[in-house]
Amino acid sequence: MGDGKSDVLQGTLDLMVLKTLESMGSLHGYAIARRIEQVSDHTVIMNQGTIYPALLRLQQRRWIKAQWGVSETGRRAKFYSLSKLGRQKVETETENWERVAATMARFLAPSN
Amino acid sequence: MDRIRILLSRFAFLFRRRAMDAELEEELSTHLELAIEENRRRGMAEEEARTAALRSFGNVTQTRERYRTEQGLPFLEALARDLRYALRQLRKSPGFTITATLTLALGIGANAAIFTLIHATLLQDLPVPHPEQLIRVGDDHRGGISWFSTQMYDQLRKNTPEFEELAAMQASIDSSWLTLHRQGVAEVPHGEVSEWVSGNYFAMMGITPAAGRLLQPADDIAGAPMVAVMSYSMWQREYAGDPTIVGSVFVINTHPVTVVGIAPKEFYGDRITAYPTDLFVPLSTEPLLGEGDFTHNPRMQWLYILGRVKPGVALGPLQAKMHAELVPIFSDIPYYSDAAGGEERIKRIRLSLTPGHSGIAVMARDMVAGLHLLMWISGLVLLIVCANIANLLLARGLARSGEISVRVALGAPRTRIVSQMLTESVLLSCMGGTVGVAIAYLMSSMMLRLAFPRAEFSPIHATPSPQVLGFAFGVSLLTGLLFGMAPAWATSHAQPADALRRSNRTSSGHASLLQRSLVVLQAGLSVILLIGAGLLAKSLINLQHQSFGIEVEHRVVVRLNAQNAGYTTEELQPLYDRMRARMLSLPGVTKVGMALFAPLDGDDLRSDVVVEGQPRPGPADDVHSSWDRVSPELFDAIGQHLVRGRNFLASDTAHSTGVAVVNRAFVKRFFPRGEDPIGQHFGMGDMKSAADWQIVGVVENAKYQYPHEEQQPMFFLPLLQRAQSDTKSIDVSSLYIGSIILVTTGPISGLEHQVRQAMEEINPNLNVNNYETLEEQIGDRLSQEKLVARLTLLFGLLALALAGVGLYGVTAYTVAQRGSEIGIRMALGAERSNIMRMVLQGVMLQAGLGLLIGVPVALLCGRYVQSQLFEVTGGDPGVLTTAIATLALAACAAGILPAKRAATIDPAKALRSE
Repeated sequence: MGDGKSDVLQGTLDLMVLKTLESMGSLHGYAIARRIEQVSDHTVIMNQGTIYPALLRLQQRRWIKAQWGVSETGRRAKFYSLSKLGRQKVETETENWERVAATMARFLAPSN
Repeated sequence: MDRIRILLSRFAFLFRRRAMDAELEEELSTHLELAIEENRRRGMAEEEARTAALRSFGNVTQTRERYRTEQGLPFLEALARDLRYALRQLRKSPGFTITATLTLALGIGANAAIFTLIHATLLQDLPVPHPEQLIRVGDDHRGGISWFSTQMYDQLRKNTPEFEELAAMQASIDSSWLTLHRQGVAEVPHGEVSEWVSGNYFAMMGITPAAGRLLQPADDIAGAPMVAVMSYSMWQREYAGDPTIVGSVFVINTHPVTVVGIAPKEFYGDRITAYPTDLFVPLSTEPLLGEGDFTHNPRMQWLYILGRVKPGVALGPLQAKMHAELVPIFSDIPYYSDAAGGEERIKRIRLSLTPGHSGIAVMARDMVAGLHLLMWISGLVLLIVCANIANLLLARGLARSGEISVRVALGAPRTRIVSQMLTESVLLSCMGGTVGVAIAYLMSSMMLRLAFPRAEFSPIHATPSPQVLGFAFGVSLLTGLLFGMAPAWATSHAQPADALRRSNRTSSGHASLLQRSLVVLQAGLSVILLIGAGLLAKSLINLQHQSFGIEVEHRVVVRLNAQNAGYTTEELQPLYDRMRARMLSLPGVTKVGMALFAPLDGDDLRSDVVVEGQPRPGPADDVHSSWDRVSPELFDAIGQHLVRGRNFLASDTAHSTGVAVVNRAFVKRFFPRGEDPIGQHFGMGDMKSAADWQIVGVVENAKYQYPHEEQQPMFFLPLLQRAQSDTKSIDVSSLYIGSIILVTTGPISGLEHQVRQAMEEINPNLNVNNYETLEEQIGDRLSQEKLVARLTLLFGLLALALAGVGLYGVTAYTVAQRGSEIGIRMALGAERSNIMRMVLQGVMLQAGLGLLIGVPVALLCGRYVQSQLFEVTGGDPGVLTTAIATLALAACAAGILPAKRAATIDPAKALRSE
């Protein structure tokens, strides 16, 4: 990105969002962004804003659904949660990633 | 799957974009507020908390943009943008938009209308299930037999299990009227178009009734209770859909007949005609209701045959089999059993099975030549339209080249510019297409009204079919794309630096040459159309005002049917005397003539003639002659002059010797060596009859049959005389007159009513089927020619107008472009009149070049339409001069306005505007 921070891979972000929603249930955008930052222990540096196009993408695929609600501090906010389709997809996507990660790991492992 | 879901939801977003934008804004601001709150909870100061929140959020505008990209459909958005832009551009120049739209609409409309007419008359299937299974026995086009006797039909039906049903129907329904009124109701008897059909006719069609039941084979048995089926259109027209009609008894030609049902709404009978069948009656009723018992006369071939063939039957063998069935029947007919040439005639009998999906295609046969001509003409109009559109778009492109150069210089990609200009021309075509369809609807309903007087119940609808709509839009889109592409390409490839440098100091460049050639082409095409229209109009005038050999002014023809009123042959002489006296008593009527049929009423009786003392004619000899029965006063009433001998007299009665009057053409054909015809005898059919008729007089030729035809040999017989050799040789129905001709002192108002009333007084069943002047009757014979000539003229004028618009447009454009040049000329002392002459010369040069191309082409085309012309040659000088003068006049008119504008240019202003 222009401001010097490196972007996360698109697919990666989508799966992070899905996993977050899977474990936390219904969350608004800010909470999702914060959660990803926390879980990754701030190793993933991203603009919080990038999560909104990702959320839209997932919505368009009908993997997540959105609903207006009230935040813990009494603010009107849009809450996202996994759809039935999304729940299935989390599994297949996770498997995919594990396969890719395992493959990558084999390449990155010190050659024997 | 995912992709479809994404596309669908993006489509949905299109329609709630504003709401979506608002939601995003709210979501983003909530996000920031939440972040700020959290930061403050961590102990940051207000300002610091905000900055931190914004920093970790990243670029808000970018997020918004990316969100929107994810949301939208880039292709559609570009299209929508282009459309909005195009609309704005078109609104900015309403003159151009209206001209282009109207031009296109007229071209498309004319073509779609002609296409509708052609589709309806030539291509339309009968409204029955599986029309493709229908097979016509015989064919009007190829000279084989297509008319059959009842005996032949019975033979064919019994021996062809290959057909699900093989049905027969009356062949000639043009003048087939039955007189009827509803029993027990006060109703004036009226004539309705009727058709005798076999009992399985409706079963063969495979249709179901709108009410009641349709005819069944059991109805078509001699002695069965008489029944009829009424058409839906007559049911509505005469009885407003009264349900009690079904099952009620009608008095038809004085016999009680039960109407058992109504045919389905869309069913118009087995053929498309101006007057579709209103009453379907079984063949078995013909001996009683008909004119002369055709059913039991093996020589009377009066039926068409149409069948529904079983699936999988090979037509070739079936055709051969049916031919074989027919030959023995023909062999029993004297004409074919005749020792001299009978065998030869039998050999020449051809029978072909042809597709029957459109029923009996008589209309298609009659109109095909005229319709094809119209198709060519409307195609030419379309060509002119295309040239005009191309010209308009070119001029527009050039006029905008400055603007486009600036945009290219500012970095607009060429593809965008081309796609914008294309969008504009496609939009224009769509507008033209839409208006064109409306025009097509108007035009085709107008044409149908001309072709089918009973249009509201006509089988043909003016609504353009989906094919026609597709055709119209396809053509207009193609025109738009084709002629939008070239200017778009040319302007987008202009070198911006060039264009900007020369600004508006231009002289005629190569694009202008293209424009000029287009105008020349238009002028050429329109002169072709004008010449064509002129030729057809002149031919029509010749046809209408030719010397028919009779007087047509102040003559009224009253058509009626005395046989339908139930008179026997013995009652006829007193009836005719009474009618004659009654008509003569009407004020303004000076003479009364009676005939089996009046001249040019569409009827024609023909017979073979044998002359006493001459050898028996061979099979190749043309011994046909038309004939008619007339009262002694008829020749005088229509002004057909006696040349030799005597006219019929009151003493030539049913019981006196058979006498005949013949025309000059008859004398020429049958007495070619100059024998004196007076006193000679001749007969109809075989040699036995040769002494039947003695020629007592010769009259001038007069056209009785078709306006286009050469004079035919004709002989005339007294109204009630029958052949001595065989009183059955002429069928009884010819003794019943069909027409009364009244000579009046001038147009008499209310005469029609008086005539109808007089007939009703004589007998309420004496129904006047038709009342018109002889001139109108002749006009009826020419309705198709009128239709074609009028439409051609319409198209010719349309083409002329379009060419005028084209000329005007190009001239106005050049004048505007050459403003400074003209200014300089005037500053240097050119007279205003010189300037005007210069501009007009340019216009006339283009028109002249158009003439140079158009006239030879028109002369060449003239040869191909020669067959449709009557006493006009393709190169008729009068027509040529008129067409050329018309074009020159139009060119002048188109040039005068821009020329005037050029002449009023103020040199000082023109030079300053540089």
